Amino acid sequence: MNTPDEDKQFEESAKAVFDGSVERLDSATLSKLNQGRQAALAELANASPARQWSRWMPVTGMAAAALVAVVVLRGPTTVDPRDGSTTSATDFEILMGDDALDMIEELEFYSWIDVAEFESTDNAG
Amino acid sequence: MNACAGVFAVSCSGEQTTGAQTLQRERQLNQFLAEVERRALRIAEIGVRDRDEALDLVQNAMIKLARNYVDRPTAEWTPLFYRILQNGIRDWHRRQNVRNRVMVFFGRGTREESDYDPIAAAPDPAGRTPDEQLQTQQAMGELELAIGVLPTRQREAFMLRTFEGLDVAGTAAAMGCSAGSVKTHYSRAVHTLREKLGEHWQ
Repeated sequence: MNTPDEDKQFEESAKAVFDGSVERLDSATLSKLNQGRQAALAELANASPARQWSRWMPVTGMAAAALVAVVVLRGPTTVDPRDGSTTSATDFEILMGDDALDMIEELEFYSWIDVAEFESTDNAG
Repeated sequence: MNACAGVFAVSCSGEQTTGAQTLQRERQLNQFLAEVERRALRIAEIGVRDRDEALDLVQNAMIKLARNYVDRPTAEWTPLFYRILQNGIRDWHRRQNVRNRVMVFFGRGTREESDYDPIAAAPDPAGRTPDEQLQTQQAMGELELAIGVLPTRQREAFMLRTFEGLDVAGTAAAMGCSAGSVKTHYSRAVHTLREKLGEHWQ
């Protein structure tokens, strides 16, 4: 049967032996521990509020893009007062079509066509 | 204009406060980790019997504490840190068991635990006579071997209470069990260790 005093003495001896082994850790091991600590501190710097916001930026951006797409596709269509044609969904389809890149590259040309058509409609009217 | 300047000043002041708080937290964390890391390494090393693996486990525990729990009161850091570390050690043993089963299945055998020699793996000497060194290292080697064969919960309770000096409540928090369980595991561990090591140990 262990007495409390004997247990206490055993615990103290175990602690002393353990502490001795901690004190004798070699410099290479201590260096690795230091590197690990620095990595943890770097993690703390990464977890600052600004960094946390930037972590959510891609998700927020995707959500915003999805919202815009839904509004364009599902939202009420507007009527162009100049020629009565509908916009939004139609424009979106044009933009998403295969010719979209060509259109972007020749934006000035399409702009000129638009103005020219509007003027000819006005003249005819 | 003045209103804008006021808003800007408040915003800057807020950022400075946050920056100062972050710096203070960083200093506190650095101090805490520097204070606990050596003992944590030895506890992990006794748990997994491999220094490199123990270093990885301690580093992971440090990073997880910094990432997830640094906003908690500093008084909670020690049990939280050791809870993360103990979970890491348990996961490591699970992975080892799976790995060993796979190796046995493919006829490669198991990793011999007897390869590990705690005395040979004992740290470098520092300022003691060879006799004292040998005696202490032998005592530690014997203690490590005896701790190594304890059931997991008893081993955890003994190392956290005796080596890290956590109280019963802190040990319970670190182990994720009740204070009553800690007392039971700890008492059994001390009894078993004393029986194994004998009266003349140390």
